[in-house]
Amino acid sequence: MRIGKKEDIDLFSSFLLQSIMAANSNMPTALDKEQIFGMAEKEMEYRVELFNKLTHTCFAKCVEKRYKESELNMGETSCIDRCVAKYWQVTNLVGQLLGSGRPPM
Amino acid sequence: MDKSMLGDLGTLPPEDQARMSTMIDQLQIRDSLRMYNTLVERCFTDCVDTFRRKTLDKQEETCVKRCAEKFLKHSMRVGMRFAELNQGAATPDE
Repeated sequence: MRIGKKEDIDLFSSFLLQSIMAANSNMPTALDKEQIFGMAEKEMEYRVELFNKLTHTCFAKCVEKRYKESELNMGETSCIDRCVAKYWQVTNLVGQLLGSGRPPM
Repeated sequence: MDKSMLGDLGTLPPEDQARMSTMIDQLQIRDSLRMYNTLVERCFTDCVDTFRRKTLDKQEETCVKRCAEKFLKHSMRVGMRFAELNQGAATPDE
């Protein structure tokens, strides 16, 4: 993840909004709110970690290491798209196998 | 960081917004540094393997530049797809 990339930021917003709005609407005590911010932070860290691993894994699997050009070619591009989709599927599969609907932290 | 997302957090009280903003800034800084390090490591490993001189030769330099550029493009593409998956958008299987 890097500075200036909107896609990265978008990942967080839905979860965060939900939890923090829930925290506010239920008039939480200070402790509840602390917990929710703590959870939101962990969730963000988890997403960043997942994104980084995914990026490194798919780069290693899809991108030609000789660097003859700086553009991604057609083959690499479609490999990347499929790699991301499959990595996601594996993430969900393993999550289910570990016995919870939530991604493992 | 892209501050435009804070518009989405507009429904939160200002103190929560500020807190989220700080949290995200810290995360971004930490992550930028980490990505800098790993990108250097990656491109160094892939591009530099002779040590006859103490400066990069033309070929190594070109390789490093392409490596970095390519990785950034890759990372942007992954970010785009990752965001789609996070939002639950199904992409057609081509």
